[in-house]
Amino acid sequence: MLEGLVSQESLSLNSMDMSVLERLKWVQQQQQQLQQVVSQSSNNSPELLQILQFHGSNNDELLQSSFSQFQMFGSGFGPNYNMGFGPPHEAMDECISRTSSCHMEPVDTIEVLLKTGEENRAIALKNKRKPEVKTREEEKIEKKIKVEAETESSIKGKSNMRNTEASSDTSKETSKGASEIQKLDYIHVRARRGQATDRHSLAERARREKISKKMKYLQDIVPGCNKVTGKAGMLDEIINYVQCLQRQVEFLSMKLAVLNPELELAVEDVSVKQFQAYFTNVAASKQSIMVDVPLFPLDQQGSLDLSAINPNQTTSIEAPSTSWETQSQSLYNTSSLGFQY
Amino acid sequence: MASADKLINTYVPEKDVFALHFLQSLSNLRTQNPLNSPDKSIDRVRKIKKAAYVSMARAAGGTSRLWSRALLRRAAKDDNKSVRFSRRKRKVTWKISSKRKRSNQRAPVVEEAAERLRNLVPGGGGMETSKLMEETAHYIKCLSMQVKVMQCLVDGLSPK
Repeated sequence: MLEGLVSQESLSLNSMDMSVLERLKWVQQQQQQLQQVVSQSSNNSPELLQILQFHGSNNDELLQSSFSQFQMFGSGFGPNYNMGFGPPHEAMDECISRTSSCHMEPVDTIEVLLKTGEENRAIALKNKRKPEVKTREEEKIEKKIKVEAETESSIKGKSNMRNTEASSDTSKETSKGASEIQKLDYIHVRARRGQATDRHSLAERARREKISKKMKYLQDIVPGCNKVTGKAGMLDEIINYVQCLQRQVEFLSMKLAVLNPELELAVEDVSVKQFQAYFTNVAASKQSIMVDVPLFPLDQQGSLDLSAINPNQTTSIEAPSTSWETQSQSLYNTSSLGFQY
Repeated sequence: MASADKLINTYVPEKDVFALHFLQSLSNLRTQNPLNSPDKSIDRVRKIKKAAYVSMARAAGGTSRLWSRALLRRAAKDDNKSVRFSRRKRKVTWKISSKRKRSNQRAPVVEEAAERLRNLVPGGGGMETSKLMEETAHYIKCLSMQVKVMQCLVDGLSPK
């Protein structure tokens, strides 16, 4: 449609152009005639000369100015040239009329020109915009499609993953998504850049993350694990630590076995009861326990290894009792008693 | 967040609990052996050691932890006794470590260490690697607690 309009306008433009040119020529001819008339009439107003001088300048301004002048002159010429310039007067009238009519037309043409020019530009712009818009729209559509696919696949992916592992969702949500738009797999879960989006690999990754988290926790527990980096070293350290602890238990049990048989192991019920009563009252106050402790060596006869201990060693008996009675931290802090821990 | 979850699962009771259990087991040992001294000290050592482990397992969580359960079962089997399991919905781990369909996908480094750990930690044979890590953590904590209790006892009883 626009093209047709353009063509019509072009035709009209052409016609207007021709008409403008024709009119310009015609105006020039009229001016020449006027010059002749003016030259013939000695009494010339400088305005005519100005008109003639302005002839060479821009046609638009000339036309406008000349037309205004012509109108004036038309009125002026009228009385002057009543006698001899009847026909030219008429011609003037005609030309004035024509020029007056032309006055509008070139302006119109100019405006039309401008309009057409603008329209041309506008059309060009529109033509440019159209493909741009099309591309944008296409992009939008494509993006929409992609987004839809992503949403659908993410929903699918989420449902699938929920079926498999519950913790994997949290791990995937924590992991950031980047450049996943390129891969439009049917399972679209947020994965890290440059990594496969296979279901199995995702599950594997989630499992590995779980294991690494637990290993970090182990690292906190096991002393001396911070220095070693890497999974292998850490695991070796952990295994070593477990073995050490088990060896320690064995060693301490040997020590206890050595300590116990030196003293008689025969146990009387009373002492056992007292012993058990002591431990049931672990949370009791110090005083009750202090009362119990001196009873041990007095009442028992070989019931416990404590009986054979001299009163010199009551302090050693008291020390563990007090330490057991209080919080476990005191066991750590009893450095004065010579405890290692 | 993971650490918070772990704290709930890997709860280890205070030292007093361990001490109580251990001393009770020791006293039981003494009642079991009315004779002054058995023939060989090795047996005594073994008995004490076993008592230590059993008391530790009981103190740590009884039958609620996998490793403690396996420990108690092992001890009971030696003594030809039956272990009482509390009625509870148990989550059975179906995965057996020895059989792996897609062994290449699991990190071989981790798996080697996991195998070694399984040999060390009681009940590790039927556990998945992630579960094994949890159990190892709890086991280490309980072991360290038991060691401290025994050390205190030894220090208290040793003549100065």
